[in-house]
Amino acid sequence: MTTSAPDRSAPSAPTGASSPEPGRGRAGGASRVGSAVLRAVLTQRVVLLVVLLAVVVGVFWNLSARNYLSAPYDAGYMALALINLPPLVMLGLAQLLVITSGRGGIDLSVGAIVSLTGMVFGLAHGRWGWSLVAAIALAVVFGALCGAFNGALVAYLGFPPLITTLATYYAFSSLAVVVTAQQPISTPPVQELYFLARAVPVVGEVALPLSILVFLVPTVLVVWLVTARTALGRRLYAIGTNDVAAEWSGIDVRRTRFLAFTGAGLISGLVAVVVTAQFASARPDAGTAGNGLALPAITIAVLGGVAITGGVGRVSGVVLAALLVVWLNAGILLAVPGNAGSQLQLLALGVVLVAAALLNGLSLRRYGGA
Amino acid sequence: MEPRPQGAEEAHRLEMTGIAKSYGAVRAIRSGELRVRPGTVHALVGENGAGKSTLIKILAGAEQPDSGEIRIDGRPVGVGSTAAAIDLGVATVYQEPQLFPDLTVAENVFLGRELRRRGQVDWVAQNARVVELLELIGLPARYATAPVRDLSIAEQQQVSIAKALGGEARILILDEPSAILTDSEIEVLFGVVRRLVATGVSVVYISHRLDELFTIASEVTVMRDGETVGSYAIEDLTVRRLVELMVGGTPVEATGRRDVPDVPPLLRLEGVSSGDRLTELDLAVRPGEVVTLYGLVGCGAADAAEVVYGIRRASAGRVLLDGAPVAPRSPRHARALGIGLLPSDRKRQGSFSFQSISFNIAAGNLPLLSRAGVWVDRRRERQVAREAIARFSVKTPHERQPISSMSGGNAQKVVLARQLVERPRVLVLAEPTQGVDVGAKEEIHRIVRGIADEGSAVLVVTTDLGEAIRLSDRLVVLRAGRAVAEFAPGASQADVLAAAAGDTADRAVPA
Amino acid sequence: MSVPSPARSRGREGASASSGRVLPFPVTGQELVLLGVIAALWLVLGLATPAFLTSGSLVPLLVSTAPIALVGLGVTVVIISGGIDVSVGSIVMVCAAVTATAMTAGDVPLVLALLLSVAVGGALGLVNGVLVAYGRVHAIIITFGTLNIFRYVGLQVFDGSTVDGIPATLAVFGRGEAGRTAGVPHSFLLVVILALAAWVALRHTAGGRHYYAIGGDAHAARLAGVAVRPRVLLAYVLTGLLTGLAACFVIAQGTSTLAPNVGLGLELSAIAAVVIGGTSITGGRGSVLGTVLGALLVQTVASGIIQLGWPSQLSSLFIGVFIIVAVGVDLLRQRGRSSS
Repeated sequence: MTTSAPDRSAPSAPTGASSPEPGRGRAGGASRVGSAVLRAVLTQRVVLLVVLLAVVVGVFWNLSARNYLSAPYDAGYMALALINLPPLVMLGLAQLLVITSGRGGIDLSVGAIVSLTGMVFGLAHGRWGWSLVAAIALAVVFGALCGAFNGALVAYLGFPPLITTLATYYAFSSLAVVVTAQQPISTPPVQELYFLARAVPVVGEVALPLSILVFLVPTVLVVWLVTARTALGRRLYAIGTNDVAAEWSGIDVRRTRFLAFTGAGLISGLVAVVVTAQFASARPDAGTAGNGLALPAITIAVLGGVAITGGVGRVSGVVLAALLVVWLNAGILLAVPGNAGSQLQLLALGVVLVAAALLNGLSLRRYGGA
Repeated sequence: MEPRPQGAEEAHRLEMTGIAKSYGAVRAIRSGELRVRPGTVHALVGENGAGKSTLIKILAGAEQPDSGEIRIDGRPVGVGSTAAAIDLGVATVYQEPQLFPDLTVAENVFLGRELRRRGQVDWVAQNARVVELLELIGLPARYATAPVRDLSIAEQQQVSIAKALGGEARILILDEPSAILTDSEIEVLFGVVRRLVATGVSVVYISHRLDELFTIASEVTVMRDGETVGSYAIEDLTVRRLVELMVGGTPVEATGRRDVPDVPPLLRLEGVSSGDRLTELDLAVRPGEVVTLYGLVGCGAADAAEVVYGIRRASAGRVLLDGAPVAPRSPRHARALGIGLLPSDRKRQGSFSFQSISFNIAAGNLPLLSRAGVWVDRRRERQVAREAIARFSVKTPHERQPISSMSGGNAQKVVLARQLVERPRVLVLAEPTQGVDVGAKEEIHRIVRGIADEGSAVLVVTTDLGEAIRLSDRLVVLRAGRAVAEFAPGASQADVLAAAAGDTADRAVPA
Repeated sequence: MSVPSPARSRGREGASASSGRVLPFPVTGQELVLLGVIAALWLVLGLATPAFLTSGSLVPLLVSTAPIALVGLGVTVVIISGGIDVSVGSIVMVCAAVTATAMTAGDVPLVLALLLSVAVGGALGLVNGVLVAYGRVHAIIITFGTLNIFRYVGLQVFDGSTVDGIPATLAVFGRGEAGRTAGVPHSFLLVVILALAAWVALRHTAGGRHYYAIGGDAHAARLAGVAVRPRVLLAYVLTGLLTGLAACFVIAQGTSTLAPNVGLGLELSAIAAVVIGGTSITGGRGSVLGTVLGALLVQTVASGIIQLGWPSQLSSLFIGVFIIVAVGVDLLRQRGRSSS
């Protein structure tokens, strides 16, 4: 738990300005419980996501039981669908770091960093014969350097994050393509990485992709530890909430913001390894093809309750939001097979994002404070 | 210029009578009266909290009175909104110019009510009108087409006045226009005011700089504790008399002591200047001593606090800690030196609004509350917050309460607690009780006294006269960036205020 | 405590520079610099590759500039008002898909095709505008959402394949002979006309000036009597309309086949053109002429790199560098102003 999450204490607060309608609470037992639940759903993003997740899974189980789906929507299928989870969650966490740092923090370049770092990783492991561990270390360092470039411009030179990362999106994605003259790297060492995407049995017949265990879980754990348990995490929430007050409290605002962007780059570097393994090939457009990876990552972060204005955001929210999207998408594919299904995923993503944002505005007006 | 009928009720452009206004349990105004004649400058003075700004907000339509009557040119009027006030010819110019820096002067003056011709803005007509206004207020005509960002603050304020006049104002309210201006700029402002008055406009002029009233105003209304004390012709007053009317008869009980141990000072300022706002300030604060820098808004005391805390660099002079020169580069550096500061603007500079009490306290003490500088010791974090809540009697159910849900006084205690987790060697407090209720004010004063008794050197920067007198072991008065007088505990309010307001003829005897 | 320093430039220079005029200088420094950079690039490219300064090379350059510049006009207004629109790429896709499908289905006259595309664009812009102006949610979140939703709508129209056999109704805006008069492409000509109209509207109408006020400080603008929400709404609708027209250019410039990846990433090119053109991403400052020049610069680089035989993807690198330089110069200028 982060102490920074304002919603944790707000609902239990018996007094305080966050309750503009004092009469509401006195209206009888049942409606009182009802309004408390409604309030929890509206003000606590994690509660809302859990409810939505239960609804989505419940609906698809039901459909599956009545044979409306093209294949059974069971635990095994749901576990299999998780192969799509690592990039979404990890880049969502990268956005969490950057957006939470405030002052319009956002990173459009994460997909391009994935592409470029993927090529560097592919070169090192696939062509120069670096060992896997050394190549991964290189990818992490290289990604962090890309993020540090963004961070230096934003934190120390005062560039607006949106435009800075748009510029580096262009620059990094261009370099990714140019570095091997558009050629993907899929030499045998790179192809062998596919073992990371293979499922390994965990409990009974449920098998999880190895990359979840090797990359995703540690990343989630580390980001959670950093944001919720370290002084750096406190500084991050402090500068995102009010960077003037943070400066006046003796916090090094620039350094903290710089580290947030560097961290986002570092995670993107790791995602490059995951994506390369998944494709069994280092592709120059791995993070930038189509809409790229940045947009879904921002969507996941916002859906997960990360406030675009900074200072608010929890790891659990991002993980749940990504799970929701992955299992919703997996269900849609079974309910609406083929192309129409993947198109419907876009609609679902957009509608859920806009609805979540509007809901944020609504709960802010209704319950104030948080 | 209109003829001025003598004595009759009709003679008044504006009459506000029996005005009362409460905010919850706080009575801001009990009985407010203000009568202004056409074509005159009428000064409105009073200590902080006397009720003058509330009275002005009611006139400007920003607040609604609980009772009372407003007449303009003899007719009773209702000022239900700021728009209604503008329609009635009441224009207000606030201290900070509210202009759009990327638009031109002419555009700013006409924003939202542009003159149009065939769908387009009629620049020619608009500029012609603005040039008239600029001439009236004494700015060159060519400024009409200059972007506002190219103007100085004083010029921007003149543009604000032009903007207010653009709507054919009959009553112009100037809310402390001189607070942020230099002496020569004030002269320019007075020229503007005189020209306006000559055209028949009535000006309500609010200022803390009492000396300047004698050059600009013809009548003065004095407020104290939410009541109008009376209105006086300026000829019948001296600064001294005005000050006495403002502070009334009741003396403030001073808690300061004269018997501070005669040890070397912990904090010294030697000839510290900051731009043109603070000039060669010498100051010494000994351990266990509470020294107050008192002055009107813009007197430079706030700048001195910022220099000590590393927000602002001194342009000349030096800061010494324990006899050794230090040059605080940043708040971080200042805190590492053992200097703490309670900022004046709690919302902007002090609080992490939607975060909890414990977060707010921990945010300024992370090195102390983390193991190896990395891991937050959450038990200590919680413990420190709970101790602060108990020690400063913060009213809250628990330490997880967001600070935004708390009253001003309680929030202020939390922000103060952030600086007191480790007792600072030097504690600077800027406006420690601004926007705080009476009970919390006394508690905060007690806390500050306690910190000094534990051996810290305490520097209070305040524009609150009562606070300055009550709290200080030594009181230094600043005026226009210079220290002009020093008082021991027990000084009279009138003496201190007179020194700050520039009563040059009748200078108080320094302690 | 933080009263701004009065030791600013006293403005004598800035003010006197504009004496005798009813408005500040009509062209910003950034625009002149851009013009110079473009001229220099053309000169260098002309010397390096003799083929560059010929109509065979310049016409395609102007043609490919047109849609980006056109979308950029709308995005400029949106950004001046303090917002952003990242859904324009998807709007192009929907408009192009609907219009191309209609044209293949029956004999749609040119005017009707244009109206259809513009109307669809306007409707999608209206969706953005309502959500941004009245939803109290930051524009970037809303338009990220509608980016996905519009993309879905577009894919439904494509129905899993491409639109083939598009008639040459829109050839008047195309790359071919029919697309130009006296060697000048119609599409670029139209962009220049619309840019001048937008420039006049932003500079000479009250509504246009209000966008600058809204982007400077929306709250203060509301207090001053500016109808903030309807204005903001209109900016997104306008962007939608222009984007609809841009979609027609895109159809005309392509082959007779339209693929579902149409418009992908266009929002980023448009935003890049706007920012390189000197419009401040934080709102309150900017000009549509700069945007057209920005788009021209971006496309000049792209075309030049191809002419030089370099990898075409290198142009993205240059766009990135240009953005950083443009923003950096702007920051330096602001700092110079506030510290002098």
